[in-house]
Amino acid sequence: MELIFAIFIGLLYACGVFLLLRRSIVKVILGVFVLSNATNLIIFLAGGIKRSGSAFIPEGAETIDPAVISDPLPQALILTAIVIGLGIAAYILALKYRYFEETGTHDLDQLSKTDRK
Amino acid sequence: MILPALLLIPFLYIILAILIKSKKVKTWLSFAFSLINLGFAIWVMAQVFEVGMIKTQMGSWPAPFGITLVADRFSAFMLLVSALVFAVVTLYSIQSVDTARIKNGYFLFAHGILMGVNGSFLAGDLFNLYVWFEVMLMGSFILISFGGERAQLEGAIKYLILNLISSFFFVAGIGILYGKMGTLNMADLSQKIAQSGDVLSQLSPAMVLIVVGFAIKGALFPFFFWLPASYHTPPPAVTALFAGLLTKVGIYSLIRIYTLFLYHSTSFWNPVVLWIGILSMVIGVFSASSQYDFRKILSFHIISQLGYVVIGLAFYTVAGLAAAIFFLGHNMISKTNAFLVAGWVHRERQTLNLKVLGDMFKKNTLWGVLFFISAFSLAGLPPLSGFIGKYLVIKAGIESGHVSVALVALFVGFFTLFSMVKIWIEVFWKNTPPEVEAPVNTKPLPHGLMISASVILALAIVGMGVFAGPVVNYCEMAASDLLNTELYINFVLK
Repeated sequence: MELIFAIFIGLLYACGVFLLLRRSIVKVILGVFVLSNATNLIIFLAGGIKRSGSAFIPEGAETIDPAVISDPLPQALILTAIVIGLGIAAYILALKYRYFEETGTHDLDQLSKTDRK
Repeated sequence: MILPALLLIPFLYIILAILIKSKKVKTWLSFAFSLINLGFAIWVMAQVFEVGMIKTQMGSWPAPFGITLVADRFSAFMLLVSALVFAVVTLYSIQSVDTARIKNGYFLFAHGILMGVNGSFLAGDLFNLYVWFEVMLMGSFILISFGGERAQLEGAIKYLILNLISSFFFVAGIGILYGKMGTLNMADLSQKIAQSGDVLSQLSPAMVLIVVGFAIKGALFPFFFWLPASYHTPPPAVTALFAGLLTKVGIYSLIRIYTLFLYHSTSFWNPVVLWIGILSMVIGVFSASSQYDFRKILSFHIISQLGYVVIGLAFYTVAGLAAAIFFLGHNMISKTNAFLVAGWVHRERQTLNLKVLGDMFKKNTLWGVLFFISAFSLAGLPPLSGFIGKYLVIKAGIESGHVSVALVALFVGFFTLFSMVKIWIEVFWKNTPPEVEAPVNTKPLPHGLMISASVILALAIVGMGVFAGPVVNYCEMAASDLLNTELYINFVLK
């Protein structure tokens, strides 16, 4: 399972980088989204994938054997990362829209004005 | 409970700024809050000066499990300098930033940046550091594109995409690190890595990812391209704020993880960091000398100056780290002040192209003197703070046997001087070229608050140079704290 997951993440990264290298700004932004999700999945994979219960201590018991629950921390981390990613996605799309209104172009090659002397 | 206050003060302002409609109240409240923040930063400094380190366990969860806020001498120094820079830039912005931007919440997002910066300096675990980075970046994304001019939007897209990629590097590193070590608390991680020496080789991928993330954020060679492409597009007050605070957080984090994790494999990391520093210095200064825009020259110099900090770190001695810390503080103040002067020139002439500027010294002598102080502090002339900073870095280099690196640092200093003299002659000294039409508005615009903001920073520059002794002593204490990793680990975990 972990191997399949790792290959899948690798594929996502490849797609993300491929999209980042395109000329259209929209595709670059899509590439950023793909990379962001691939990164979230890395955290998920790092926590270990196993079939086990949720991280609740049963009623009456003081502790629980860590082997029978899955680690809740990576899930919390991913949740945070997803929320941040969502905010940034909304912002970057608005920025792109504004840029398109201003210039009428999708072409990254038109974005060379600020680099010139 | 003094540390959470540094996060709550900017947050409280953000809430108030949403609720309050009056522009005037919002503006002055922003300045008041920046002063309160400065007051708390001084308080933290006073406490840390006595006891060395303070911490707060949020929600009373003990260290490796809860969220820990830690301030050691290094963070307290950074907090103080950034609070000073922020207060001064806020004062400057009241007059410098246009009404439309202030009405739409310029100060709100500036306080968002402050919250992120304060949080990054206090964060005790890696994921928290990432979250504060994002808070800071979100504020800076909005400020850089605020107003929606064409150049600004273009700069914002470059800034945004490259900074997002740096965050992905950082988070991927965190993920792998967590998978291997099962903890993200920096003190706990450092302890666990120290206890199991063989695990280190497996951690290299994670460490490389994290360092690349910080290097992009800190605009170090070869990841600096976003900085000169975007920093000259927003209003000058925004550039001054960014130059003073943002890249420095990346460097702060690099120093933090270097002294906690990377020092275990110095044979690999020392040369890498050293070369990153040398190349940042040299390439930054060369690129700057070919530019003809006031702010672009200064932007390239940010890269070059951060190189000095990084080589100070790479020497990895008490003297080297103390020099790095001192230089970081000096650079935040001097660089911000140089951008503040650029803001005044832009306000008077609506352009920062060196070829069409001139005569500014005749127009206002005091601004000329202020530029002279900050520029020649950056170039490293005595008795200003830059001289002490460079002297410390070069001395630490020679003492630790890196004589050739010290020579490169001296050589880069000459080129910095060249760029600064170029700006001085082109903007302040020469006559305005005859083919350029004289500016239409002959009536000087009000700039009382702007100039007092700049004077405060200029006094700080001179003060840091003339009364360098106590500051250097403090930096040395901070550096020896950083090198004594056990101290940090024991303090946080017990």
